[in-house]
Amino acid sequence: MRKIRIIPRLDIKGPNLIKGIHLEGLRVIGDPAEFATSYYGSGADELIYTDVVASLYGRNSLHDIIMHTASRIFVPLTVGGGVRSVSDVESLLSVGADKISLNTAAIEDKTLVTKIAEAFGSQCCVIEVQAKNVGQGKWTAMYNNGREQSGLDAVDWACEAVKLGAGEVLVTSIDREGTRKGMDLELTAEIAKSVNVPVIASGGVGSKKDVTEAAIKGHADAVSIADLFHYKRETIAEVKSALNNSGIAVRST
Amino acid sequence: MIPDPRNKPFDFKPFEPQSETGKPKFGLPSEVKYCEKCVISNQRPNSAIEIKHTVETKKQTIFFSEDGVCDACRHAELKRKINWEERARELADLCDRYRRNDGSYDCLVPGSGGKDSFYQAHLLKYKYGMNPLTVTWAPHIYTEWGWRNFQRWIGAGFDNYLMTPNPLVHRLLTRLAVDNLFHPFQPFIIGQKNFAPKMAEKFGINLIFYGENEAEYGNPSKDNSKATRDNKYHSTNSGNVTYFGGVPDHRLIQDFGLTKVELDPYYPMPVEKLEAAEIQVHYLGYYVKWHPQEAYYYAHEHGGFEASPERTPGTYSKYNSIDDRIDDFHYLTTFIKFGIGRATYDAAQEIRSGDIDRDEGVALVKRFDGEFPARFADEIFQYISIDEVNFPTSFKMFESPSFDRSYFDALANQFRSPHLWLFENNEWQLRNTL
Repeated sequence: MRKIRIIPRLDIKGPNLIKGIHLEGLRVIGDPAEFATSYYGSGADELIYTDVVASLYGRNSLHDIIMHTASRIFVPLTVGGGVRSVSDVESLLSVGADKISLNTAAIEDKTLVTKIAEAFGSQCCVIEVQAKNVGQGKWTAMYNNGREQSGLDAVDWACEAVKLGAGEVLVTSIDREGTRKGMDLELTAEIAKSVNVPVIASGGVGSKKDVTEAAIKGHADAVSIADLFHYKRETIAEVKSALNNSGIAVRST
Repeated sequence: MIPDPRNKPFDFKPFEPQSETGKPKFGLPSEVKYCEKCVISNQRPNSAIEIKHTVETKKQTIFFSEDGVCDACRHAELKRKINWEERARELADLCDRYRRNDGSYDCLVPGSGGKDSFYQAHLLKYKYGMNPLTVTWAPHIYTEWGWRNFQRWIGAGFDNYLMTPNPLVHRLLTRLAVDNLFHPFQPFIIGQKNFAPKMAEKFGINLIFYGENEAEYGNPSKDNSKATRDNKYHSTNSGNVTYFGGVPDHRLIQDFGLTKVELDPYYPMPVEKLEAAEIQVHYLGYYVKWHPQEAYYYAHEHGGFEASPERTPGTYSKYNSIDDRIDDFHYLTTFIKFGIGRATYDAAQEIRSGDIDRDEGVALVKRFDGEFPARFADEIFQYISIDEVNFPTSFKMFESPSFDRSYFDALANQFRSPHLWLFENNEWQLRNTL
């Protein structure tokens, strides 16, 4: 039976763990290493690290943070933000990342997805689709942490990226991100039905009930969660037990 | 007659690399300096009294201390030392003095429905138990998200009067402000500032709350040590000539076909009337620690405030000043006149608030400042184009009543000061950058 993965998401700016609303108004939360260690200790299945301003400043600063984190954390680490080349990937993998996630650079140069998949395997290449609703059942893909419009349809772009070699899709709803209003289930389901690789739903979790819905109605294979855990409103164990009670399999904590 | 800037020969000589740049325009300081702590330059003009603003007006600019730090950063330092609990008590006292239980409004909160006005009105009503009336002077052209946020604001439990100025008058004044002062936002600033006291007087309200003090952004700090706003910003003495769009009011009537009643909404209240009405204007920012980013969070949490769907052209942000389609041009014109664009204003504020560091701010300014805002350009140019059917009299006052990109570019050049701008390889560049 398919087991739903629970993945705390750590958005990083400079040395800090941050959190926004609609990916905007980035509030400093604390030390990312501290949060990562605590999530690992309390049963996270994986972690996602994203340098959210890497593209904005044209920099790549996660290397050191990952190096320090990876030595203490033994669940898969997905790292994104500022990955622009095969050698960027190599360097992140060498310090302990297990997968990398791509958004801006892939939109600017689609061949990068294929190059990375060919060099390191699709399992290591996650495409993040930052989707903004533009009308009934329509989403546009944004980049630069939700600041710029790509002009691409989000669902089409997810499909294309998978064809190019991406092995997993991280779907972030900008409309829901940071709002605690529940996930965009329609978006998640639309992408899950259109691609044949695992889909991680992200953005909008207000409570454990939203996670259950993402699994059932959104057909997500994994749920990435930030606000709920960062502000210590619910724990990973509580979320997993709610999933269990709804008959959804999870990995034990 | 308002000349077409494209028909005037433009002298590029002072803009060459080695040229003697002469006297700066607008009375700006001749040597450009950037604050050591934020990213603002010493060219930033202070808030001025817009109804006296003409093409000749000399700007007062932000003060820099000997060690190269701007007044706004100085103020941010002071703000960290303020005893906010004591200020909160002062606010509670003030509210106690003005609170009414007789069924009438006891305070007035002017605002657009952006994050700051949301925070102000909500705090006063739900934390301090006041009975505010909210009033809004409409933006030139609402953005869809700005309109939705405005609805969410009043939806959180407020009465609101929305004043939408006659678009034909507002368009003409905007066009004049662009041609004469390169200041498309001016009619909004004037209307918005003067509207609140007049509404307070109509409803017999004695207390008006604004949000942040302009001094947080660099007006003289002596203006910032008290809670109240000087009457000079929203009243007038009789006998003074009033200008709108840089044109004296009697000429607007004689030459541009406007009537007295059409101009009425823009006039400030006479100072005698303001004093007789015993209206006090207070800054809430004096009493509570203002952090724009936190206001965004507050407005989202209590009202579902939404950020704009994409970053604003000319900057990186999505959460502030997002309700008026003309805003993009407001900041482009400040970039051309003073070398200070939207990213500079945003980054300087976020540095002072501790949201980003200076290196980040510098990178953002270099990347986004001065970007041409293509998204609403055609709509804005249309808005300030003067057609014969709607403007039969003023139409004749413009050499080229319609406005487009080439008009904008030619006009922009006339507002460039040679001490700021260099023209090289067919491209405009700032002489001094961060």
